[in-house]
Amino acid sequence: MVANAHSLDSPALPPPRSETGAIGWARENLFNSRFNGVLTVLAAIAIILTLWFSIRWAASEADWKVVTRLGSQFVIGQYNTESACPGQNCAWRPQVGLLLGIFLLGMAWGVAGKSIAKPVALTAAIAVSAMAFVPYSLDRMGWDTRLLLLANLPAVFAGLALARYTPLGNVRGIILAGVAAFSLTLVLLGGWVPGLQPVPVLRWGGLLLNVILAVAGIALSLPIGILLALGRRSHLPVVKTLCVVFIEVFRGVPLITLLFMSQVVVPLAFPQDFSQNSLFRAAIVITLFSSAYMAENIRGGLQSLHPGQAEAARALGLHGWQITFLISLPQAIRNVIPAIVGQFIALFKDTSLVYIIGMLDVVEIGRAFIQGNPEYLASAKELFIFLAIVFWIFTYGMSYVSRRVEQNLGVGTR
Amino acid sequence: MNANQETAATQDMIVCRDVHKWFGQFHAVRGITTTVKQGQVVVVFGPSGSGKSTFIRMINRLDEHQKGDIIVDGIELTDDIRNIESIRREVGMVFQSFNLFPHLTVMENITLAPSRVRKWPKDKATEVAMGLLDRVGIPEQATKYPAQLSGGQQQRVAIARALAMQPKIMLFDEPTSALDPEMIKEVLDVMQELAASGMTMIVVTHEMGFAQEVSDRMLMFDHGNIVEDGSPDQIFNNPQEDRTKLFLSQIL
Ligand SMILES: Nc1ncnc2c1ncn2[C@@H]1O[C@H](COP(=O)(O)OP(=O)(O)O)[C@@H](O)[C@H]1O
Ligand SMILES: [Mg+2]
Repeated sequence: MVANAHSLDSPALPPPRSETGAIGWARENLFNSRFNGVLTVLAAIAIILTLWFSIRWAASEADWKVVTRLGSQFVIGQYNTESACPGQNCAWRPQVGLLLGIFLLGMAWGVAGKSIAKPVALTAAIAVSAMAFVPYSLDRMGWDTRLLLLANLPAVFAGLALARYTPLGNVRGIILAGVAAFSLTLVLLGGWVPGLQPVPVLRWGGLLLNVILAVAGIALSLPIGILLALGRRSHLPVVKTLCVVFIEVFRGVPLITLLFMSQVVVPLAFPQDFSQNSLFRAAIVITLFSSAYMAENIRGGLQSLHPGQAEAARALGLHGWQITFLISLPQAIRNVIPAIVGQFIALFKDTSLVYIIGMLDVVEIGRAFIQGNPEYLASAKELFIFLAIVFWIFTYGMSYVSRRVEQNLGVGTR
Repeated sequence: MNANQETAATQDMIVCRDVHKWFGQFHAVRGITTTVKQGQVVVVFGPSGSGKSTFIRMINRLDEHQKGDIIVDGIELTDDIRNIESIRREVGMVFQSFNLFPHLTVMENITLAPSRVRKWPKDKATEVAMGLLDRVGIPEQATKYPAQLSGGQQQRVAIARALAMQPKIMLFDEPTSALDPEMIKEVLDVMQELAASGMTMIVVTHEMGFAQEVSDRMLMFDHGNIVEDGSPDQIFNNPQEDRTKLFLSQIL
């Protein structure tokens, strides 16, 4: 009001210098009272000391030899060892899987246009291609491996072009291509076609294993969770009871226990070939475990909806399923995106637990290496710090993307 | 009124015979009997909790009546799902709190039901929707989301959304009571134009100016029943019931 009256007779003056810029911001936010001022100073000292010691340690004292020694094992575990893939180089198979993944990101960029998809696709493609320039002394990668890594850059643009210039350029196209790419990757990795050397799933390891389990778990637990949430709200007592029992059982038992149990229980329900397959067992257990949590997240979202929404839809003549899938679910899922992404992140981290059924995920690769090579015992901290950073990059990526998606959807404002 | 409308007006659009509704033990609607003719504009008013909302919600079966008969455009409301679906196609409803779908644009809000329920092709649904947005005076808002509109604009979109199904009857449940005063008129103007076009309307409202000017008939509700039924002229100038007098003296 005062400012208004002011502007009527004379042009508004710029605010005094101290209220703008960094100094103004600091005064307003960090030093606005004596107590806050003291806290700010103490926090600043703590941050500076921590940074100083960590950087000094990381740069001079730490011995990162263990990381370079393990090298590509972090990525594919023992997939390309002599016992897994005798007499030949099988590294190209997981690399094709990676190419397909980057290709899909390119498609997402083509479909979503100017959104978060573009920076994510480009960053991933560039980061992966840059691996081609890792010095030979660090990883001893051959030229074929390096070329396939470089191919990720054209792959992202191929995906972009496919989405832009063919009828596959929509969400349905991405889902189709995604399912196809994922299946093809599994078939290649397993060598389940004539002419390819079969590689037993127990040899699939490293980040490759974590990512496969996470992708399968995420892609399946969302739809299963939706069905469970709807079932739990069903008016049919049988459906409702089944869903409640399922959710409560899978939420009530630790994942480790479920993984152990899967070795005994899954063979009862599925044919031999499948149940022998520890990857398949682990994927089922992780998916069902995550679905139970997902169901509760989505149910929470459904409960947060104003009853007037479904009423208005009914009054327009829409019937039950249309209301569920066109009105309720889209709003419910939007409302709980943070919880859903939290569940995805938890799932990704939980994939490490498959070590319990004898699989060598990225963490177990490192742990087993230290155990087998006691001369590296002193490097355990470097190893686990490195692993922590790797996990953090993935999970922070997920939460960053979800925040941007929320902003684009205008969650919270509409 | 021209001769055409005169003959049309003799047709019964809504017939209620001794309609009752209980919520658990609570007897919310207690034996309503009334008939609304085609083209009639009926204002429903009365104290809060008297069953006004429940009454109009039973007409498109958002609430089920438990005793008596309701016949809408010749179709009796029963548990038969086909009847309910055809009724909901004939009856549009506008709510106090708008109830627009926040995740859809204005255009998508309006075209959703015509394309999913009436199975219109996209072009036709869009064309009809644009015509309706013109009619309610906000054609430029088609690509916005509901939260980007003012309350009055949202309620006009809600009216357009209901009209897109080309209903024969429109129900309004306190359409202006959630609005800021300066927006009430823009909504009432749209409703007045709709009334003039010959739409059969039941409007729960306490906008007595609108009632006097636009309605053909007023129903005073109390304790789940109609206590007085008459022309606006009669209700305002010569109310028969003490309860009507008392209520009008409280709100006017
Ligand atoms: N879903 C419901 N469950 C229980 N009681 C209800 C429900 N809806 C309405 N009522 C009760 O029925 C009575 C009539 O409600 P309503 O038709 O909304 O009144 P009005 O619209 O005239 O204010 C009120 O006493 C209200 O508390
Ligand atoms: Mg009411």
